Amino acid sequence: MKRETIAPRPDWRAHVERDLGFQFHTIGGALYWDETVCYRFTAEQIDALEAATAELEQMCLGLVDRVIDSGEEAFERLRIPRVAWDAVAGSWAAQEKNLYGRFDLAYDGASPPRLLEYNADTPTALFEAAVVQWDWLQATSPERDQFNSIHEKLIEAWANFDLRGERLYFSAVKAHAEDNGTTEYLRDTAVQAGLLTDRIAVEDIGWDGRQFVDLDNNPIRALFKLYPWEWLVQEEFGVHLLSGVAKVIEPAWKMVLSNKAALALLWEMAPNHPNLLPASLDPNAIAGKQVRKPIYSREGANVQLLDAGRVVAETPGAYGAEGFVYQAHTQIPAFDGNHPVIGSWVVASQPAGIGIREDVNAITSDTSRFVPHYFE
Amino acid sequence: MKKSHSIKLALLGGASMALTACGDDGPPDDARFFAETKECAAVYGDAPCTDAAVKAEETHLVQAPKFARQEQCEAEFGAGNCETRQSAGGGSFFMPLLMGYMMGNMLGGNRFSQPVYRGPDGSAVMNNNGRMFNVGNFGAQTAGRTTSFRPSQASPIARGGFGGSSAAFNSGAAS
Repeated sequence: MKRETIAPRPDWRAHVERDLGFQFHTIGGALYWDETVCYRFTAEQIDALEAATAELEQMCLGLVDRVIDSGEEAFERLRIPRVAWDAVAGSWAAQEKNLYGRFDLAYDGASPPRLLEYNADTPTALFEAAVVQWDWLQATSPERDQFNSIHEKLIEAWANFDLRGERLYFSAVKAHAEDNGTTEYLRDTAVQAGLLTDRIAVEDIGWDGRQFVDLDNNPIRALFKLYPWEWLVQEEFGVHLLSGVAKVIEPAWKMVLSNKAALALLWEMAPNHPNLLPASLDPNAIAGKQVRKPIYSREGANVQLLDAGRVVAETPGAYGAEGFVYQAHTQIPAFDGNHPVIGSWVVASQPAGIGIREDVNAITSDTSRFVPHYFE
Repeated sequence: MKKSHSIKLALLGGASMALTACGDDGPPDDARFFAETKECAAVYGDAPCTDAAVKAEETHLVQAPKFARQEQCEAEFGAGNCETRQSAGGGSFFMPLLMGYMMGNMLGGNRFSQPVYRGPDGSAVMNNNGRMFNVGNFGAQTAGRTTSFRPSQASPIARGGFGGSSAAFNSGAAS
């Protein structure tokens, strides 16, 4: 695993905007898509990442089973809102399919990849990983390989959903370029899979007393939402969603995995697993430096690095009301002063590829840069 | 090989455009969708409707979204709803078939008229400067009829019941 400094394509901005429709390559004036560097892996390293990803996904599915078996107590520890318990258990019992997820891994190229967290419900950085870095490789060195068949696997995965010709609405919040870009990319793959699709902003979804409706008052019976379950269920229309009038992707059981308390339950289920870091809801159970993460949080907000109870580093934010999980600190290796986090994708619960975000800070946030990779 | 063999995009990228909900540049409130000039004539009379049909055709030729491949066009507008045309340079491209027009009387005297295409599932899609608006449906029950495309003021439909948390956290929703 090496970090290489490379020459960017001279016209890359115009190219990715025009030919790929990639508009959020620069966020808040700062570079987000960064092709002045890339990471090189060996085939053995990629195999290790793929195997760890498959193993983590199986453990996570095992955890869902365990949580649903143990019922209330586990739901409470995970801070899953009570109103959603029946929907979570029901969607698992009905074996509702899931589309995707992203494991964030710390990896140095030699030790086992370690799970930092699992973005099971609303992962992004998808289009960059699936399409933009693939396009970069094809343009710069097409003879090389990349751990990335995300695009093909997404198109295949849509066949798993039993939509019976129902139109699938793709939904994200208004005025957020990255969320809308990701959602529109997923809709693109669904169109290619032959699905009927439309899109609607989360804020525009209507309720006519019996069913959800779009802006033309047509019924919405199938919904892909890039909007967290734990928010949906606590908002005004949440009770309608939980009544099951619409099929929802991701399914409700992803709530078991999309909160960070799941990290503690994973460690309880598989203590000392080489791909896990010690994690607990009790800070006293974790020896040495620890990272405190809100049970519900997004984009690296409200994370604290603690050393003997003292705050060494932290990120701002408005999360943390539901409590925190404490995870043993692992030093994310630095490459030229940058800390890469491997975002390893599962599509339909199968390993599908990786995308790398690196940051000069040890806590990856939504301002980290996305950098491409290849392996040989 | 662990990389995708090929990637094509149906919606994103160069030739694509996106359907949008009604918003800026949408049709005025009194505008109606007509599949046939004679349906229009019953409402507005022959001459204005013939004028609108000619104008819609002209606008269509200038503003219609153009695609390099038939499947790109059909991904947006549905199978069988696209036609091929010759470009001035001798190549060919694909664009949606003109299937009707939206017409209305705007305040201030200028008549509103814009081309309408058939979209997926028989939906009627209005083109206004390249932005697309769902304005109703073709089909046995609704062909040629005026089709409401905005909820009325007295609509019993509630909206805004989702999205509050994102605003409260002042962030996007994804991670």
